[in-house]
Amino acid sequence: MSEQNRDEQRTGDAGSPDPTDDEMLIQTDVSESVERTGASFDRDTVVSARDINVWYGDDQALQNISMDIPEKSVTAMVGPSGCGKSTFLRCINRMNDLIDSARVEGDLYLRGKNVYDDDVDPVALRRRVGMVFQKPNPFPKSIRENVTYGLKIQDKGGDYDEIVEESLKRAALWEEVKDQLDESGLELSGGQQQRLCIARAIAPDPEVLLMDEPASALDPVATSQIEDLIEELAQEYTVVIVTHNMQQAARISDQTAVFLTGGELVEFDDTQKIFENPESQRVEDYITGKFG
Amino acid sequence: MATTSDSGEIEGFGQVSRTVGTVFRYLLLAATMFGIVMLGVLLLYVANDAIRPLTADPGWYLVFLLALVVPSAAVGWTVRRRDSEAFNFGTLLVGMLVVSLMFSGGVALLVIDVVPPLVALAYAIGIAVPVGLSVLLTGQAHRISFTPRLAATTALFYLSLFGLPGPVGGALGVPQVVPSLVGAIQSIPVIPVDWMMIAAVVGGGSAAAVGAYAAGIGDRTTGLYAATAAFAATLVAGALGPAVGLGAVPAVVVTAVAFVPTGAYAWRGGFAEEGSPLGLVFAATVVGGALVGALAVDALGFAGPASWVDWGFLTSAHSGTAENAGLYPAIGGSILLMATVAALSFPLGVGAAVYLEEYAPDNALTRFVDVNISNLAGVPSVVYGLLGLGVFVTYLGQSAGTVLVGGATLALLILPIVIISSREAIRSVPSDMRQASYGMGATRWQTVKNVVLPEAFPGILTGTILALGRAIGETAPLIMIGAPNVVFNLPDTLGSKVSAMPLQVYAWSGLFASEDFYTKAVPAGVVVLLAVLLAMNSVAIVLRNKFERTG
Ligand SMILES: Nc1ncnc2c1ncn2[C@@H]1O[C@H](COP(=O)(O)OP(=O)(O)OP(=O)(O)O)[C@@H](O)[C@H]1O
Ligand SMILES: [Mg+2]
Repeated sequence: MSEQNRDEQRTGDAGSPDPTDDEMLIQTDVSESVERTGASFDRDTVVSARDINVWYGDDQALQNISMDIPEKSVTAMVGPSGCGKSTFLRCINRMNDLIDSARVEGDLYLRGKNVYDDDVDPVALRRRVGMVFQKPNPFPKSIRENVTYGLKIQDKGGDYDEIVEESLKRAALWEEVKDQLDESGLELSGGQQQRLCIARAIAPDPEVLLMDEPASALDPVATSQIEDLIEELAQEYTVVIVTHNMQQAARISDQTAVFLTGGELVEFDDTQKIFENPESQRVEDYITGKFG
Repeated sequence: MATTSDSGEIEGFGQVSRTVGTVFRYLLLAATMFGIVMLGVLLLYVANDAIRPLTADPGWYLVFLLALVVPSAAVGWTVRRRDSEAFNFGTLLVGMLVVSLMFSGGVALLVIDVVPPLVALAYAIGIAVPVGLSVLLTGQAHRISFTPRLAATTALFYLSLFGLPGPVGGALGVPQVVPSLVGAIQSIPVIPVDWMMIAAVVGGGSAAAVGAYAAGIGDRTTGLYAATAAFAATLVAGALGPAVGLGAVPAVVVTAVAFVPTGAYAWRGGFAEEGSPLGLVFAATVVGGALVGALAVDALGFAGPASWVDWGFLTSAHSGTAENAGLYPAIGGSILLMATVAALSFPLGVGAAVYLEEYAPDNALTRFVDVNISNLAGVPSVVYGLLGLGVFVTYLGQSAGTVLVGGATLALLILPIVIISSREAIRSVPSDMRQASYGMGATRWQTVKNVVLPEAFPGILTGTILALGRAIGETAPLIMIGAPNVVFNLPDTLGSKVSAMPLQVYAWSGLFASEDFYTKAVPAGVVVLLAVLLAMNSVAIVLRNKFERTG
């Protein structure tokens, strides 16, 4: 299937803002969003979704998702298994284009530009939006080649050795692998592989980093290192992280979005508010573990 | 029927019947063995006719038992108990020596009787120079964009192979202004001796391969040393060859194709990191035992088996008497046919497979093509022969029975098999890896080039080699396209008439049918054909095992 087809399938991109005038339009988007999600944050919006609906074949996985993700912060997505968190992440960098049966409707703006516009090249989009997948998926190449993969395909120059070391250090993997950079990435343990994938994703310096349960296969030490990394990254980047771990969401995120079964976004607000004083009873029940 | 005592403790768990399972298991075993045993009996029968082991002196057997079998078994057993990795390595090393010796025979045949050394040298340089320059250009990829690079590369190859204006100008009647590199080399007045030119071509190729292999294990310096050493070994062999009674050219070829690669593998497995010298000991025992045995039977005057598969059989052409008949032109024909088939079917088949797996939209047309490729794989080979005859000979006006027509027909025959096995290999690359690549912002082409093809390549290669094994045994299509039954010389151009091993065996059993041919030439031909097939398949199997271990 081709990525072009996908463009034709999506519905009209009403009011797609002019990318040359980002700042102003983002302001409009934010004010619009206030009525929709009831949340407004004091930072500029980077990603803003408008009525995103996703179907896999005839099954709807996401329903009318609208949200504004502010820049340079950590946004956590929580919710029961199968509620569409990964699907939403894949909408942001258009990875759903690669799934034949998936159909996306609605608009999703990245810095004011609708990524579902016809003139958007999904490949160029993905170079600005890094992704760490739910399942570790390093390439069957050496650790070094794994980390430099993004730099190479994006024709980015620079001192590769330095970038490799820097990225692996940030991903809390350097100490374990610094003597075996030329060995295959597949020979690492599951948790090490996941950290390698994180290093690979941050090496080319993306603007937005999507992380799908990056810590689910990690031990507590590595998890806390990755949490530190995420908090550090959030100084410069926008991080969107899916997690099943409520404490983790509470610890590291600035905003939390709660999805519930059926693919609806039930509540999206400052993390503190979500955890201390949620609007919705269902969210409270979910967070306190009454149902899931 | 668990029996439980009053206190609730279990005294036994009872038994569950496995009669049906056992019967089923042995039936399956019988089914498996049936085919193997039948084939084994047939092969033993043929091999007995061809090699005639019973004609050998008992002393001959005794010598080899003492020199080869007993020491090899003893050393092999010890090594294996200590370190089974090392034993496997040793076995593989011996196998590699045997197979590469066979391949060096094929290469020697090509450079001695098919391609004149000067032509080989001219083309080797004429291709190596533009390849080298293109690699340099690719290194500048960040400065020069793709289109000019493509144009420059094409121009380089055209200039080197055809000169200016070349065939394009020739068609318009413009005379040649600048000679091609290939032409220029062929017209130099002083030419080096044959073996030196062959050493440059074959030895240069093997040195480059060994260098790249060593550089992959160590670093660039190691690679450079290894390549230099390999090339030096080839030159030394050429200089010393005549002194030990082997011609300079065969010595060069055997060293470059068999000894140098085997030596590199032995060095890697024996001494490089995590290597096991024990494996080398085992391999040395086997090879040394064989050599000592051969020298000993010679010295003691024990006659070996009066095999029909002997040097004469391998190096002479067909003859009216079975004793003097040989397979040489047919072996050479098969090699040339296989080279043509591989050159045609590999790019076409792999290209089609990549398109169908990675690019083709999932629509009715794709499904139609899908089904038809599977059907084509089952079409009888006679039909392909008819197709080849119709298309290449009748329609395109090629003369019948040439290397080109035969190779193209056989390539068509195995194309569906190559496509199917390549698709299988491509499909077995986990989709997670593609996702990872796309997620990093790779284009489809980058993903195919960097992730899919490297991962699928060993599988693709295995499938292609197995398919070639099918092509090398085909007789019917060659008969249909009018390949001659008997050829006395090796074909030296793509347009010369060609025979092949199975065709020659068929001719012996049909046209020259007599008791003599049945019992002497036919079994010998079959044994040679099977040995070549086995060598090819063993390469495929080794590749596949390697693939499975890393994949
Ligand atoms: N490739 C696909 N094809 C068809 N259906 C899919 C596909 N991917 C996801 N779905 C469906 O979409 C729904 C949402 O899936 P998604 O993977 O987004 O859930 P999730 O919230 O990430 O769950 P988890 O926490 O278990 O990872 C599920 O019902 C799932 O069955
Ligand atoms: Mg998920």
